[in-house]
Amino acid sequence: MARMKFLCDTERCIECNGCVTACKNENETPWGVNRRRVVTVNDGVPGERSVSVACMHCSDAPCMAVCPTDCFYKTEEGVVLHNKDACIGCGYCFFACPFGAPQFPNGPAAFGARGKMDKCTFCAGGPEENGSKAEFEKYGRNRLAEGKLPLCAEMCSTKALLAGDAPVISDIYRERVMRRGKAGEAWGWNTAYGKPEQAAPAAKEAAK
Amino acid sequence: MLYHIFKNGWEDKAYIDARVFGLDKVKAEVMTWTPERVQDVTGIPEAEVLRIAEMLAKNKPSTVVWCMGQTQHTVGNANVRAMCILQLVLGNVGVSGGGTNIFRGHDNVQGATDVGPNPDSLPAYYGLAAGSWKHWCKVWGVDYEWVKSQFASQAMMEKSGITVSRWIDGVLEKNEAIDQDSNLRAVVYWGMAPNSQTRGLEMVEAMKKLDLLVVIDPYPSATAAMAAMMRKDGVYLLPACTQFETSGSRTASNRSIQWGEKVIEPLFESKPDHTLMYAFAKKFGFEKELCKNIKVNKDKQGWDEPEIEDILREINRGAWTIGYTGQSPERLKLHMKNMHTFDVKTLRANGGPCDGDYFGLPWPCYGTPELKHPGTPNLYDTSKHVMDGGGNFRANFGVERDGVSLLAADGSASKGAALQMGYPEFDHVLLKKLGWWDDLTEDEKKAAEGKNWKTDLSGGIQRVVLKVYGCHPFGNARARALVWNFPDPVPLHREPMYSPRPDLVDKYPQPDDKKVFWRLPTLYKSLQTKVRDISKEYPLIMTSGRLVEYEGGGDETRSNPWLAELQQEMFCEVNPRDANNAGFRNNDFMWVETPTKGRMKVRAQVTERVAPGTVFLPFHFAGWWQGKDMLEYYPEGAAPIVRGESVNQGTTYGYDSVTMMQETKTTLCRVTKA
Repeated sequence: MARMKFLCDTERCIECNGCVTACKNENETPWGVNRRRVVTVNDGVPGERSVSVACMHCSDAPCMAVCPTDCFYKTEEGVVLHNKDACIGCGYCFFACPFGAPQFPNGPAAFGARGKMDKCTFCAGGPEENGSKAEFEKYGRNRLAEGKLPLCAEMCSTKALLAGDAPVISDIYRERVMRRGKAGEAWGWNTAYGKPEQAAPAAKEAAK
Repeated sequence: MLYHIFKNGWEDKAYIDARVFGLDKVKAEVMTWTPERVQDVTGIPEAEVLRIAEMLAKNKPSTVVWCMGQTQHTVGNANVRAMCILQLVLGNVGVSGGGTNIFRGHDNVQGATDVGPNPDSLPAYYGLAAGSWKHWCKVWGVDYEWVKSQFASQAMMEKSGITVSRWIDGVLEKNEAIDQDSNLRAVVYWGMAPNSQTRGLEMVEAMKKLDLLVVIDPYPSATAAMAAMMRKDGVYLLPACTQFETSGSRTASNRSIQWGEKVIEPLFESKPDHTLMYAFAKKFGFEKELCKNIKVNKDKQGWDEPEIEDILREINRGAWTIGYTGQSPERLKLHMKNMHTFDVKTLRANGGPCDGDYFGLPWPCYGTPELKHPGTPNLYDTSKHVMDGGGNFRANFGVERDGVSLLAADGSASKGAALQMGYPEFDHVLLKKLGWWDDLTEDEKKAAEGKNWKTDLSGGIQRVVLKVYGCHPFGNARARALVWNFPDPVPLHREPMYSPRPDLVDKYPQPDDKKVFWRLPTLYKSLQTKVRDISKEYPLIMTSGRLVEYEGGGDETRSNPWLAELQQEMFCEVNPRDANNAGFRNNDFMWVETPTKGRMKVRAQVTERVAPGTVFLPFHFAGWWQGKDMLEYYPEGAAPIVRGESVNQGTTYGYDSVTMMQETKTTLCRVTKA
């Protein structure tokens, strides 16, 4: 079984926001909800770098650990998903997440008024039936069920953003590092994948 | 950079000797540009220039990429020639991985240019001479005398028109000063953004004065709102559909052509451009002449729609100059269907039905489609046979100049050419002289008699020259480093119209004013002299350009929620030093004021992206005017989601001395806290 991961190669990201636009268009997320965003550091000075950030689908996901309603679950492919019906909009996951992934449709409102949390699903939908209208309305497109990878990475013009089975994308990145002749850390990987894979209720059924 | 290249002997001497003309005069000018002088004018220190020159010289091939940063200046023509000369000196032109790459701003700009929207040429760069008109009349199947009768006079027919950059002067200039009978009274904005053009304050005055203004666009656009601000009637909006709602060929910057299929039916009441064009022709009474060779079908609402494939076939039958002749709709569609058979590095089909073709048949793809020319992936590449996409420099300016040959040196022809030397362009006379005439078929002979490689509609001359003898139809000459018919034959530095340095204005002045230039009087030295000291009031350099999120004038992209969310406000990039001096902080509102009396209220983006003394503003915004939202001037529900000040409200007068391109890339401004 594959273990799905994201990898953003900061040597290649050109801050074009193509991934952000692809994500919004594919999942029809509302204004203000950004499942993915591009962050630039050292803007305008030598050494400027950009990185495209979304939920990294951590091996030991802090959001899962802190959620008081246990709305999170992990698929067999390692994708961290959640059940919006169980979400109470408390925002704990937002404070726990090292990547700022959880989004709330009503912004920084008071507890209970933020609305249901929304985040990157690795284009894998939610607990509803694959490809159903209900699934799309709550979670966006389920591309994985159609045998496709997340659109953000598919649309990346420089192939800075990679999405897919961990050994495959690691190989691509390793080859790039070898060609460049300098080591580079895969951004965010230690934080996201540095801990042992957390055992979690695997199937969607468990979350229902 | 050329100074360091020559000084260190890094130039490609063999290449220059064989394939370049007039470099000695350029070199003489270059060697006067000592590092001290360069730093004084550009601000770039010697070490940096040397580092880049060495990097280019020692890492070959290398390419140079630019967009509008080089061209939108009064010296734009000199800038781009200087870049080409740099590449010629390094021997980087005509090699894979080399060349100069000028990126187009949006879909099919190259294709639009190729079919002749410029006011100095018929399609495919044939110019406006009587012979050019006769060539195209023959292609169109219409009588030359009839076409002539549509013009006020033959002189008007053959005289370059007013460029889009100056239409406002065509309206506002005194009638006795312009080189045509009447001023412009009607303007059609067809997929064109007014906020991408300079001198916005004068533009609204011109819009007010017009009898008629027509906007053809998927969105009402800033044109409609600007006009509505100035007048109550005489403005017509015609909804055009987007490229996704029609099919047809699109040409990219690398001259390759792709066939696009219709994705959805045109939305609402919109129509494709060619349907609108036909409706106009019908109203004016020449629809039969417009579509002599083109089948006309009825669309779903009963409008007449010319058949797209036939339009391309007509282009194929006439555009011999640039080899836009071999790319039939059938060949292009075959490429799209068999995309997977093309190698991603060479762009060449490896087996399959398109075997040997370069993807999209980049022009020149000479001859008829039946000749099966594979297209040309790199221009001027002598390492390949011409039927393999090879080529050389064009013999477009005669065979000698001042006693020096303009033709390429012996041994520098394309691979396998029967003539391994420089040679002129081919016509019926040269073919006969060489004894190649009898390689033509009897039918081809009839068509080619009295013709040359670009007017022989049978394609026989091109076929014989290319296929039988491996030569280039347009001859084999040297690239001109010295362009004797331009105002500055050697590219020269001239200070911009609005310069922050009066001392440099004195040293590097603009040329004298021109009385008639593209039908209009055009100011250079007199204006520059008048504003010589204006930097006392407007001390900062103001430049403008693009953002990745928006495109062109931005009406379409600022109406797209996914993109609009990413750039929600018009802004100005200011260096922290200038922001601190002016007393505002990041994200404050600020005023940008320019010598046109343009005033723009924008967000301050305080950043090191710009150097002290320079500010940058993106040009994609419109919908605010001098601090006020223009929402009420858009048709209800049609305003873009994001609106902001147009930088071109504040850009100033200044035009390239050859092309009449507007100077958007440099003027002056001052900034204050709003």
